[in-house]
Amino acid sequence: MTPDSVRNAWYPVGLLSDLNPDGKESLLLGETITIFGSDMGEPRVECGGRGLPVVPRFGHLWTSLGAPDKDLFTIPEADHPDRTLVDVGVVRVKCSPLRAVENFLDIAHFPFVHTDILGAESHPEVSDYQVKIRDDVDEVWATKVEFYQPQAAKSAGGGIMTEYMYRVPTPTCSILYKTCPPRPGEWDVIALFVQPLTEDLCDVWPWMALFDDESAMTDLIHFQQLIFLQDRSILESQIPKRLPLDPAMETPTRADLTSVAYRRWLKRQNYTYGAQLVAG
Amino acid sequence: MILYDYILSPSCYKLRLLASLLDVPLELRAVDFHPGREHKGAALLALNPAGCLPILVDGDLVLTESAAILAYLAAQSGPNWLADGDPQAIALQQQWLSFSHRLAEALGGARLVEMLHFDGDLEALQSDGIAALRELEAALFTRRIAGGTFLVGDMPSIADIACFPYVALAPDGSISLDPYPSIRLWMRALRSLPGFIEMPGIHRLHELAPDPFAKDLS
Amino acid sequence: MAIETEARWVPIAVSCDILDGTVIPARLPTGPIAVWRSASGSLYANGDRCPHRGMRLSQGFVRGETLSCIYHGWRFGADGACQKIPAHPKVSPPKTINCGPLPVTEANGVVWGAATSPVDAPDQFVGHDALRSLVVAASTDAIASACEGEWVGEAIAVTLGGQNTILLLNPYGPAEVLVIALVPRGLTAPDLVRVSTALEALRRSAEAVGEAA
Repeated sequence: MTPDSVRNAWYPVGLLSDLNPDGKESLLLGETITIFGSDMGEPRVECGGRGLPVVPRFGHLWTSLGAPDKDLFTIPEADHPDRTLVDVGVVRVKCSPLRAVENFLDIAHFPFVHTDILGAESHPEVSDYQVKIRDDVDEVWATKVEFYQPQAAKSAGGGIMTEYMYRVPTPTCSILYKTCPPRPGEWDVIALFVQPLTEDLCDVWPWMALFDDESAMTDLIHFQQLIFLQDRSILESQIPKRLPLDPAMETPTRADLTSVAYRRWLKRQNYTYGAQLVAG
Repeated sequence: MILYDYILSPSCYKLRLLASLLDVPLELRAVDFHPGREHKGAALLALNPAGCLPILVDGDLVLTESAAILAYLAAQSGPNWLADGDPQAIALQQQWLSFSHRLAEALGGARLVEMLHFDGDLEALQSDGIAALRELEAALFTRRIAGGTFLVGDMPSIADIACFPYVALAPDGSISLDPYPSIRLWMRALRSLPGFIEMPGIHRLHELAPDPFAKDLS
Repeated sequence: MAIETEARWVPIAVSCDILDGTVIPARLPTGPIAVWRSASGSLYANGDRCPHRGMRLSQGFVRGETLSCIYHGWRFGADGACQKIPAHPKVSPPKTINCGPLPVTEANGVVWGAATSPVDAPDQFVGHDALRSLVVAASTDAIASACEGEWVGEAIAVTLGGQNTILLLNPYGPAEVLVIALVPRGLTAPDLVRVSTALEALRRSAEAVGEAA
């Protein structure tokens, strides 16, 4: 039986710009859903003849199989009128939705997986940063994350020390705030919205809200697809497929404190979909 | 030369790769293939009515088949990448260029279904893909017996470049490369070439770069 | 019982398919493993899973005498111990972090692996050397029946391409077997190609037998 915390969460199921009035089938938590667009601007989602709650936000349609006890999170920074909002498009990955989020929270892999773009082998060190589970909003936050990046963004001219903040507002979504090369003092917003199809299969919908007056939209999409597809081959090779919540199964270091907090937070709210509770 | 390019397209990558190996500059035009389907839009259909990538534009010349573009780049800037004179080598090169279309259909097709939500009969595509990989493995093993590393002759050629990307990305379509040792050695030889560039899903050989911890670990 | 199955050499690869400074994936009955040859030519095997995040080590890379994980670059030595965590370059990794080294040896151009150290050496095939490996999507019985060969212990002796060939078998599952073909030493290149071609034909027959069954 899927726990309430899993059924009641909000999940992305499609791009608002690409909804079909005739309906498109998909999966959510192993159940078949049908997503309908509408000329009237009122999209809907059905599961077994039952209408599900929907929220259009951040360029995507969101739904839930249960009765959400929280509103869908907001990203106030993304409302700035000067920002370019980028729908990166869906990529399917044969991995646990939680592994996909955890990889997004990790910077230590940059020198090896995003070599000479987000990291360099000559600068692999991850210095200490702050992590906490914020009880007031029930979110995981990592701040003061600093890392040397050869090409931090499409808009970056060369190598810079980049500062990151990570936020996990709901178990299958994460938002990254990072140094914005053309606008010192502002943050670029890069989000990873994950639709759990099953416990070891997910659709990933990256989305961005950037200050970038120079780059063409397609270049921004390509850059983010490049980065995410470099991760995909890793995500599909991890063993076990499900994210182990048993601390004995994997070996974290100080660089992994965000993931440690993320796993603890999942366990605390009994979010077990895509997780493995005991070693085996 | 302008290449209408998609970062995740193995066929576009072939051309970026050969251009890099030959040190030929290409002007890249990013096409919003996914999610935007820009290749099906009026502007690009005017260049390539087939509605696919890559497209290479050089002055008045418009080329839309990757094998033809590989031949064009090699003929201009790397004639030793092109079989010439020896009838057997010319025929074999042509055979592998044709074979690369089978790889694109089967392995590339499975990849688009598994990765980007395209329609297709996944099982049939994977089965065709495995058949093609087995053929390639057997051929490369025969080349090894003769002391060869690459598909045609002693040197890498456009035949290798035409086949390499879809093979290397087979796991994207849930087709394992584990059973093919000769393919693994051939891919390693190609990835070791000076000027080799990667694409998402094909990692570089980190061991070719200097070891940052050589002193610590010696 | 466990010791009987685990302390036994299993053919896992052809020696010349693992160049110095490379790693390949292979399988034992107990699970997937990574087999690697260091820059100096020493052969090692360990579990195909980085203890950090579960990434397959067979997708990693070899530098000098260490195997690195492709995900975060953790480096493991001959004894399986982690020697370096690049994210913390000044820290000596705890001795407890280990990727699980496994026994591995070479004979007749074949790489043999085991889950725990066997007492004896692997089977010897005098005057034979490994030609190539291939994976057959059929059972060992289907292979034996397709080639009409003779069981010699756990191997099959068969004439392929006119040569006395020995097939070593490593069943990956009920209908998936790694086959390593050994041929008499000193054959000419055309002879070797004929055996390789006959091996492909054998695979087609065995898979047809399997489908009919």
